[in-house]
Amino acid sequence: MKFFIDDLPIVFPYDRIYPEQYAYMCDLKRTLDASGHCVLEMPSGTGKTVSLLSLIVSYQQFFPVKRKLIYCSRTVPEIEKALSELKRLMEYRISVAETEEHRAKERAFTGVGLTSRKNLCIHPEVSKEKKGKVVDARCRDLTNTAVVTKARDEPGSVETCDFHENMNNIPFEGLLSPGGIWTLADILQHGRDTSTCPYFTIRRSMPFVDIIIYSFHYLLDPKVAEQVSKEMSKDSIVVFDEAHNIDNVCIESLSIDLTRPMLDAAARSVDKLADKIDEIKMTDASKLQDEYAKLVEGLQEAASNEDAFMSNPVLPEDLLKEAVPGNIRKAEHFVAFLKRLVEYLKTRMRVLHVVAETPLSFLQHLKDITYIERRPLRFCAERLQSLVRTLELSRLDEYSSLQKVANFATLVSTYERGFLLILEPFETDNASVPNPVFHFVCMDPAIAIKPVFERFSSVVITSGTISPLDMYPKMLQFTPVVQETYAMTLTRNAFLPLVITRGSDQVAISSRFEVRNDPAVVRNFGSILVEYSKIVPDGVVAFFPSYLYMESIVAAWNDMGILTEVWKHKLIFVETPDANETSIALENYRRACDNGRGAVLLSVARGKVSEGIDFDHNYGRAVIMFGVPYQYTESRILKARLEYLRDAYRIRESEFLGFDAIRNAAQCVGRALRGKTDWGLMVFADKRFARADKRAKLPRWINQYITETAANLSTDMALTLSKLFMRTISQNAGENSTGVSLWTVEDVEKAQAAQRQAEAEQSAAVALGQSQPGQGGGPGEPMDEDDFYEDGGISDRALGEVGLDI
Amino acid sequence: MSTVCAARASYKKIPGLLELTSTHLQWTQDGKKASVVRVAHAEVSSLFSSKEGAAQVRLKIGLENDSNGHNFTFTSPQALTERETFKAQLTTIISNNRAAREGGVLPSPQQTSSVPAAPASSANGATHHRGGAPAPTPSRPSTSRAESVSSTRGTPVNDPVHDFRIRKKVLVKTPELAALHRELVVSGQITETEFWEGREHLLLAQAASDSQKKGRPGQLVDPRPQAVEGGEVKIVITPQLVHDIFDEYPVVAKAYDENVPSKLTEGEFWKRYFQSKLFHSHRASIRSTATQHVVKDDAIFDKYLEKPDDELEPRKLRDDEVDMFIDLEATRGDHEETGNEKDVTMQAGKQRGALPLIRKFNEHSERLLKSAMSEDGGGKRRRVDTGDANDSHDHYSQIDLEDLHRPESSTGVLLEMQDRQRYFEARPGAAVSAEQVPRPTVDLAPAVQQMKRDLEGWEAHLSQSKIERKAAEAALGSMTENVATRLDAHKRKADIPEEIFRQMRTCQTAANEFLRQFWFAIYPPAGETLGGPTTLAQKTAKATRMAGYLSKTPEKVAAIIRAAEMAGADRGRVQIGMQPTLDTVSKALEFWETRKAASGPGAPGVRRP
Repeated sequence: MKFFIDDLPIVFPYDRIYPEQYAYMCDLKRTLDASGHCVLEMPSGTGKTVSLLSLIVSYQQFFPVKRKLIYCSRTVPEIEKALSELKRLMEYRISVAETEEHRAKERAFTGVGLTSRKNLCIHPEVSKEKKGKVVDARCRDLTNTAVVTKARDEPGSVETCDFHENMNNIPFEGLLSPGGIWTLADILQHGRDTSTCPYFTIRRSMPFVDIIIYSFHYLLDPKVAEQVSKEMSKDSIVVFDEAHNIDNVCIESLSIDLTRPMLDAAARSVDKLADKIDEIKMTDASKLQDEYAKLVEGLQEAASNEDAFMSNPVLPEDLLKEAVPGNIRKAEHFVAFLKRLVEYLKTRMRVLHVVAETPLSFLQHLKDITYIERRPLRFCAERLQSLVRTLELSRLDEYSSLQKVANFATLVSTYERGFLLILEPFETDNASVPNPVFHFVCMDPAIAIKPVFERFSSVVITSGTISPLDMYPKMLQFTPVVQETYAMTLTRNAFLPLVITRGSDQVAISSRFEVRNDPAVVRNFGSILVEYSKIVPDGVVAFFPSYLYMESIVAAWNDMGILTEVWKHKLIFVETPDANETSIALENYRRACDNGRGAVLLSVARGKVSEGIDFDHNYGRAVIMFGVPYQYTESRILKARLEYLRDAYRIRESEFLGFDAIRNAAQCVGRALRGKTDWGLMVFADKRFARADKRAKLPRWINQYITETAANLSTDMALTLSKLFMRTISQNAGENSTGVSLWTVEDVEKAQAAQRQAEAEQSAAVALGQSQPGQGGGPGEPMDEDDFYEDGGISDRALGEVGLDI
Repeated sequence: MSTVCAARASYKKIPGLLELTSTHLQWTQDGKKASVVRVAHAEVSSLFSSKEGAAQVRLKIGLENDSNGHNFTFTSPQALTERETFKAQLTTIISNNRAAREGGVLPSPQQTSSVPAAPASSANGATHHRGGAPAPTPSRPSTSRAESVSSTRGTPVNDPVHDFRIRKKVLVKTPELAALHRELVVSGQITETEFWEGREHLLLAQAASDSQKKGRPGQLVDPRPQAVEGGEVKIVITPQLVHDIFDEYPVVAKAYDENVPSKLTEGEFWKRYFQSKLFHSHRASIRSTATQHVVKDDAIFDKYLEKPDDELEPRKLRDDEVDMFIDLEATRGDHEETGNEKDVTMQAGKQRGALPLIRKFNEHSERLLKSAMSEDGGGKRRRVDTGDANDSHDHYSQIDLEDLHRPESSTGVLLEMQDRQRYFEARPGAAVSAEQVPRPTVDLAPAVQQMKRDLEGWEAHLSQSKIERKAAEAALGSMTENVATRLDAHKRKADIPEEIFRQMRTCQTAANEFLRQFWFAIYPPAGETLGGPTTLAQKTAKATRMAGYLSKTPEKVAAIIRAAEMAGADRGRVQIGMQPTLDTVSKALEFWETRKAASGPGAPGVRRP
């Protein structure tokens, strides 16, 4: 269907539109018009991605100034899904284009997805490698400029990659001609068909495409962003979809762990570097001199972008644009410097008690002991990169530990605030064999995302579950122009959220640490699974708060004979530590759901499966959340982060923990729906979900359907309600949902007319001098935040004294 | 009927010949012609044998309906080998039976009956597939499950044996119906066909549920030892268990092949297996790690021991093609892992003992799924069909929002429910969504104001309020009366003797059945099935017959009333209880009389009003 929002013609690839999709698009357009940022929460499964792409593509195609869209998602499955949505949208646009000219314009529209060499390699040998790092290193050995030049000068002297070589004569802008949308599967097929390298095809065409889709890290992690995202123009539109965990990605991209084996490997690499330097001094001393000369002048940017194997872990504006300090300019001096640094770190690891210190105090201690100054330390990563390039090393994956140490050195000497160093000599409190880990912890998510907000004019942060909305601007330190959540319009309840607080025997259930292994609780959790596997058709997905708990409870259930009951009704699949193994289990789970055998999938909230996998329709008729997925509060890293959030942003510990647990729980249950004819049960099994302050943190579209009765149920009551729900939903809907939860073009126009009238009245009223409070546009009703997210009248202090409920 | 194997064996201490034919297991006494014991294959449910080395070589057959079964003692000099032959044959038969029984097509028990168990034994024959209907063609589009059930096997009317069996099952399932059946059919008042007329749906439902082929049961093979006195444990080994163990753990089958009977006898083999580390590593439990050091070393079985599969990466790396939409590995390889390690609770695989168990679950489920998929040819696969279908279209269907397309007329599949109306009406509040019944919007502030105004000076109002004397008394009087009546009724509730009450019930249900038959003959339902009367004349005849039965009802009621009086029960109450029945009967009879009078004999052409 086609319609207009203000003057912008929108092409939407369906015959109908949900009202919330329309509202979402209106707000999105407002954001783009204002060149600002926004936070939008749209119920899961109501076609967020398609609305977003539909609006932005319409926007891009309508205005003469092309703004590139940088669309970031969390996982590769989600990237591929977004690409498929886009591909279908473009097919639709081509099919409805009115003139030949328009059609050509739509055809020329180009979109690609980017992922790692590991996922895109089609080289017969390199692609067999299991580790991403090894694929990267081997690929570089075959494709870097030095090797390629050498191969051209004396053919046959070095090995190159044919897929890469075949692209030499193709101009970069012609690689993906004549345009179109390329999913990852398409680009792989294209690579095989034309014997070209998919990875370099994408990398080289990136400046010319209209839409690029990749994962958060490619924009947030400075090590990657420096390589791939540097040249994106400032007026690009940046979208973070599924952004509910964006703060964690930010933090991860600036945090580093060092372990003893890593330091040992780094020490070996330093020795190897020293050998290599000696060797090259004999054969080709001029190389080192050249490098020295360059470093004096401060010319580090010698190599082409494609060759860069590691870039600075520091954010661009924190980079010092000056020459490398004198004492590490000479290769052998730098190697000695590294050696000292690694030795120092190894010594620190010998300490048998926990140490937490700020970067400043660490630097002071380092200086006292080793006389290493802060300035050369800051250039460590940069200097290592230059040295490696000069020495023309191969198999860089073997140097990865040393790279990590160098990154650590650079980061620790660059940032003072928002970071902490924690040395943990033992893995757990009871362990007696030391296994020290040196954590370099970033506590402030705003640091990593700051350059994104500064550089790009419009940043859209969106997800199905991003409540409470005001938390994100606070944590990420930005000011949104639009901040909105949309209710789900339904003509009948398509999903039933239930809170089970106690078992049929009235024993309260909870995943609280003190009671989670209580046999009564374990049994009650088990009986919920058994009963639901009896009454629910096809797929049931159960989430646990942690891997540790899932693994122990699965074993306990098996010994108690609970799983024997489940086996009678459904197959059982469980998430394992291995990603590939889990994917196969998932595939089989889906088959069992399609086949009618039915299956139960046991997995972990914030685990691999909980991100990016949909359990819509028969793949998830019931989602059970066993317990509240709180983080492990004994973790020192988490404690440090909580403290920082409290001091820097005035976010209380309990508030953050509750928010974090609930957003993950909501994310798990939210994946059960796609479309409004789909239906599913959402079971929250923990007595703490019954508390008003917990439920208030759930996205509104879920919370509004939790009735008072459904907020505090025992297992048997929940089963009765569930059965009733399933029978009701299996009746023919009968009533026409068009006009209410589905809009045709006429409905859209009607809504627009009504809104125009309201605006006219309002402006008339304003003209009359009766100033009225401004009103948010769009039919999504503005919501009263204060009213909604209150804590139920408990003061901060009282909450603090209650103690954390973990 | 060819003999598969035969051996000399005694039964109840009488010598004779035990034979296994292609359909039956039979034993004939020496010198006699007819077999004394004749058991259809389908009835054999279990098999026990005496220990090797025992004084007598015995074989015990457990039957479907009789677990005592039959005991045979092999008497020939080669008793042992002969018994093994029987055992091998019977084991296959039993496991086929088990599969068939799970498929629900087990024939009703009919020991030594002369009726050949035709439809059932075909299911128990060579393949599983023959029991089920034509295997669904793979090209069949996705249909609802309910539909596929009824299509698997048509209405089984043509097959009297099968029909009988189904009817019997229905009767066994519903005792009330069985009682009525006894009352009317067995006593010969109406025929079998008449009885089932109008009840075809019950038969169809039963047939459908029978023909639904069940897959393999899901449980893990986990023989749990039973504790016997004296601290010993005992595990009962049945042929089925052996079959399952071999199926689940090929390594045991391998060990069996290599060691039995060359190094170990079968008994020894199992004894040592259950004591070995191998068994404990196979037990689906993390307890096995605890028992590890209790278990003795075993030179033979320890060779087959595999390292527990408890590394983070599975031992068996697989490179199955995984759909891009669920490829978790791709995400892991998308970017270098950054950040701090996860806290200890979020590191997968910390409980190493649970990993082999978890892997076993996944493998077991996959195996079950594969066996199910190969059975129905994957015909029901709907959405993960990545085979030859266009890949991008398949992906489109996964991201499609169906309801946003222009609606096409599809009514969907209605959920058939008994008493649907009542079920939903009984709980109106819960069943209707918040949106369906918009709550009357109440503006709170004015409402409170209003209420406050209304309540002002309530004390004064209350003291002024006067109730008219007469009305109050009347109300109280009626309430008292009501209570008294209820009390009375309550007290006298059980004063009809059980025997009389039972007679009343039977009389009433019988009359009901006659009425049903009667009206059925008068107003036949639209789509007629089953071998009921088809011509008008037949119908009239039937109606006449039913009317005859009905006309006797008052007599019967009178008899019951008399009996009640004799038993000292309240005659009036019985009368009142039976009155509705009498009323309906007399109504029917009246109708019958007027109709006879109106149309005259031989031309009952009255159409439905």
